Formats: sequence, structure tokens, C-alpha cells
Amino acid sequence: MVDKAESELLHKARVLVVDDEKRIRDGCHRMLTQEGFDVAVAETGDIGLKMIEKEHFDIILLDLMMPGMPGMEVLPYVKSHHPDTVVVVITGYATLEHAIEAMKNGAFDFISKPFSPQDLREVVDKAIKYIRTLQDIATEKSRMRVLINHLADGVMATDAQKNVALANPAFLKMIGFKGKEAIGLSLTEVVQNERLNEIIDQALAMPSDQFTEIIEEFEHGELGDDKEAVLAARCIPFRDRLNRTLGTVTVLHDITALKKMDQLKSDFVSMVAHELKSPMNSVMALIKVLRDGLAGKLNEKQQDILGRISERVKALSELSADLLDLAKIESGLITQEKEKLELGEILEAMVDFHRAKARDKGIELVLAPMPQLPPVLGNRHNIEEVISNLVSNAIKYTCQGGRVEISSGVEGRYVRISVKDTGIGISKKDQARIFDRFYRVKDDNTRSIPGTGLGLSIVKSILEAHNGMITVESEPGQGSTFHVYIPIINS
Amino acid sequence: MSDKKLVLVVDDDPDLVEAICMKLESENFRTAKAYDGVQAWERIKEERPDLVILDVMMPNKNGYVVCDEIKNDPQYKDITVVLLTAVGEAVTSTSYTHMDGKTALADEFIPKPIDLDNLMEIVKDYTS
Repeated sequence: MVDKAESELLHKARVLVVDDEKRIRDGCHRMLTQEGFDVAVAETGDIGLKMIEKEHFDIILLDLMMPGMPGMEVLPYVKSHHPDTVVVVITGYATLEHAIEAMKNGAFDFISKPFSPQDLREVVDKAIKYIRTLQDIATEKSRMRVLINHLADGVMATDAQKNVALANPAFLKMIGFKGKEAIGLSLTEVVQNERLNEIIDQALAMPSDQFTEIIEEFEHGELGDDKEAVLAARCIPFRDRLNRTLGTVTVLHDITALKKMDQLKSDFVSMVAHELKSPMNSVMALIKVLRDGLAGKLNEKQQDILGRISERVKALSELSADLLDLAKIESGLITQEKEKLELGEILEAMVDFHRAKARDKGIELVLAPMPQLPPVLGNRHNIEEVISNLVSNAIKYTCQGGRVEISSGVEGRYVRISVKDTGIGISKKDQARIFDRFYRVKDDNTRSIPGTGLGLSIVKSILEAHNGMITVESEPGQGSTFHVYIPIINS
Repeated sequence: MSDKKLVLVVDDDPDLVEAICMKLESENFRTAKAYDGVQAWERIKEERPDLVILDVMMPNKNGYVVCDEIKNDPQYKDITVVLLTAVGEAVTSTSYTHMDGKTALADEFIPKPIDLDNLMEIVKDYTS
């Protein structure tokens, strides 16, 4: 029987039977027609050849021993004019020698006379499966070609010998390639820029236990003709199943607009922060001279009020410093270097780091036994910041005698890290907003806990830049659990 | 009275200058005030100060430039210079970042926001 996908192909499949024996022609015709093929027959090699010249057949059943032109002479013609056609030779009296010779000349399979309908069905099914695989590969190739050629990003692949295996029009335009055809040329003939050549060398030379995305920025017309363009190049090696490096893939992304925006944003935030910080510093200094009694002696109440004013101004000043940090972190995320990370080690280090703080507060900090965690691609500093932030929050919002547990696991294409506390919990209403910038839950429990409301929004930005995500489960008074998901490499 | 040491305070924020000067005067210093780099030089030439407290971010010649000018001037290079470095690390696009405070020739660096008591200690140390 044939399955659905196969039957779709069968409707279109054309079979030619070339045999001088009428009995065989008729038998094949009947049987294959029943199976849904479009069947043609030829009684000599010459007639067969003429039909092959006129139209394409998917499968040809070819008798080797015929008067006139023998099948062995038809075979080379088919292979050179219709390379996609699958030829199955029919050999009389099981002459193995002929069959082997035919296979050497490009026949796909052979069937020996006399054969049963079952034998024929098997050999044709096998041929159909082969054709289907070829078609799948061709479809995939064509789909890839269309996809890659229409990407706005530049894409180039090299083989291990640094020959260009693929380069889309966007890539060639970005590097200002003036030649006709880049594919097949050696890399240095296509890419003039030394730095870009170097990162490709680095990617090729990367040891097989390492998987790092190499990122470089190019500007001022270093790569192409556009002096204004800022291009981010990401280069990674690709490997076979035995982890041998087969070549490299380089992607060029135009980040000119992003850079400009970033610069504007960064300038603006810095300016605002400076304009906020300076006056606040002056206010604090003025309060200080007042409190020191340099403008006349103050009574106790006046001292107290000035003390409170001073604290509030100081908090504002710290907030503006955090705002600067956030702007800095966010602008850095765009082109940060990512490498292969073992999260197990990072988790252990982070838990050690926070152990003293937890102990001081009388909180039990536990790292649950970890399964073997597959590596992820990430920026070490960022990922550490994510974990550190969540653990420090958990400690911050958990009362004495509570417990904070960090666990991990694999879920689908992600590594999951969970930070569970027995703290004050978060209401449903607040859960929706805690990742927003500057949002802080304000109630009796949190009023005395300092914070700027930026921590979780920084965590979220980092995870988004890693194609990961963060979720929270919580009930007020029942503690909270934050789940972080980071995609596994090669998934 | 003339044995009181003279401290020149240079910052573009008059309120901060005012507060620092009040504090200095309470510690028995004489003070001079300037609000940008050009004015700073005018004051220095009027009367040579013993010490200059110099803000980095200022219009009309920033603090680093004034500092280097003082330190490269044979006549004035012995004046103690205390730089106020409020410029955040995050300021990526201003001209200030091209000169890290540590490469300038100042005798001392005080981060903003200023701890006035700490500043007084430093000024007293250098002028005693």
C-alpha cells in the first residue's frame, strides 16, 4: 500500500516500460496502472529512446537484452539528458553481471525475470521513495534559496577551506562586492576586510567543545560603500554530527538606525540624569550647611525636618543613577558577545555569593540537586545578573526563618531555572506589572524595603535579548516562584 | 587675617559653590568663587589661591582642561587641585569621557555627590 504523501506523487509519476516481450509490457502496464501510475510502453530500445527524447519519465523500466538497441546503450543517454530519471533494469535469467554493469552505469536498481507483481511493486515503491527524497531535497534547496536571497540581512557561508559556499545579494551589497559571482571563490577574494576575515578564521579554529557566536561591529564604510552604515557581523561555525567543523555562517545585520536611536536615547538619558543629579547635589550640600548650623542655629524640629528632606533628595539622586545604569545596560544588550554557558556552574557561584546575606537574615538558601543541564548561548555577565537579581529579591522579600530554593531542569527547547521563596507573595494584580519599569508593589510589607523598581525590568530585558522569558507564580502570603527560560543551543 | 588660606571654588552651579564656600569659611578659609573655566583663570590671576576645587563638567573650558593648564604652568603648578568628578560612567557621548579623570594631573578626586565633611578633611590636609 502507499501512504498519502506517496500517492500524491504517484498521480504525477510517469513510468516507461521498455521491453521486447509483450507479456512483460502488458503485465507491467496493467499492474502499474492499477497502482495509479501514468504508464507508457516501448517495444524496442530505439522507440524508447525517441519517447525519452520527447518527454520526461520519472521511472524507466529497461530491459537490457533486446534486439536492435540494447538497454545498456539507452542508459547513458538517459543519465546525461534526464539525470533525475530513475532507471530500473530488467535482466533476463538473473544475469548478475549485466545488472552490476548497469548499476555502475547509473541504474538505480534491477529486477530479474521472471518477476512477480509483488517484486515489481517493491522495486517501483523503492524508486518512488528515492524520487520523493530527491524532490524533498530540491524543494528544501529552493525554499532555502528563496528565503536566504530575500533576507534583508546579509548571509554568507563558507566551507572549512574558506571557500564561499553561499552569499545572498544583501551580503554582497553590504560588503560592496563588485564581481559577478562570489560562490566558489576563496573568502579573501570576496571579503577584503581583514577583521571580517579574522573572525571567520576564529570561528573555523574554534575547538569542538566550544560554541561561541563571534560578534563584531563595522562602521565608517569599513565593509561596504556606505560610509554611514553600522553593521553587526555575527559569525558561528557549523558542525556535523561528529562535531567536526564543516564551515562557517556569517550574518550581517544593519544596525545603523538602531545605533542612531541608541545614541539619541543615551544622550537624552545622560543629559536628563545630569540635569537632575546636579541640582539635587547642590540641594543636599545646602541642606548640609544648614544642618551644620552655618546659617544660624537650628532647633531640634528643624534639624529633624531637614534630615528627612535630605534622605528624600538622596533617594532621588540614587534613582537617577539607576536610570543611567538601565540606559547603559539596555543599549549594551544589542551587540553583546554571547558564548556557550554551563548554567550549573553559574547557579552554584551565584548561590555561594548570596549565602552570607541569607544567613544574616536567617533565611535558608538551598540549591536543589541539578540534572545535567545542556549548554545555552548567552552573555555570562547578563545571565549572572538575572540570577543574582532574582535570588537577591527572594531574600529581600522573605522574612526571617523563611526559605529560598533554586532549582533547574530542561523543558522543551529551554533550560528552566526557578527561584522559589516563602516570602510575602505578589497579588494577581501586581504580577501583571512587576516587570514594568519603575513599578514597585506598595503596601505595608514593602514600604520599608528599599528599591527603585528597575531590577525585574532589567531581568526581563536581558532575557528577551536572549530569546528567553520569565514567568511568575505567586499567592499573597504564600511565597513566589520565578521561572526563567533560556533556549538550549542547537535546538 | 592674611594668614588664612585662600581656596578657589569653581563649579557652574552657584548653589553648590555657595554651600562649599560657607562650609570652608566656617573652617577658617578665605574663599574665591568662579562659575566656569575662564573665570577660574581670572580669579587665579587676581590672587593666587592655595587650593582649587574644580568641577569637571563646566561650560567655557571644562575642569580637566583648567587642571592641566594649572599643572603645566610653571608659575601656578604648585597649586593643589581637587577635581569633582560627577561625570557618570554612563555618559558615553560627551567630550568628557575622552579624558578619564585618572589621566588628569589633579592632586585629588572627589566623586559627586560631595560629602562636604570629607571634602573639608581633604582641603585641610593639603593646606596644613
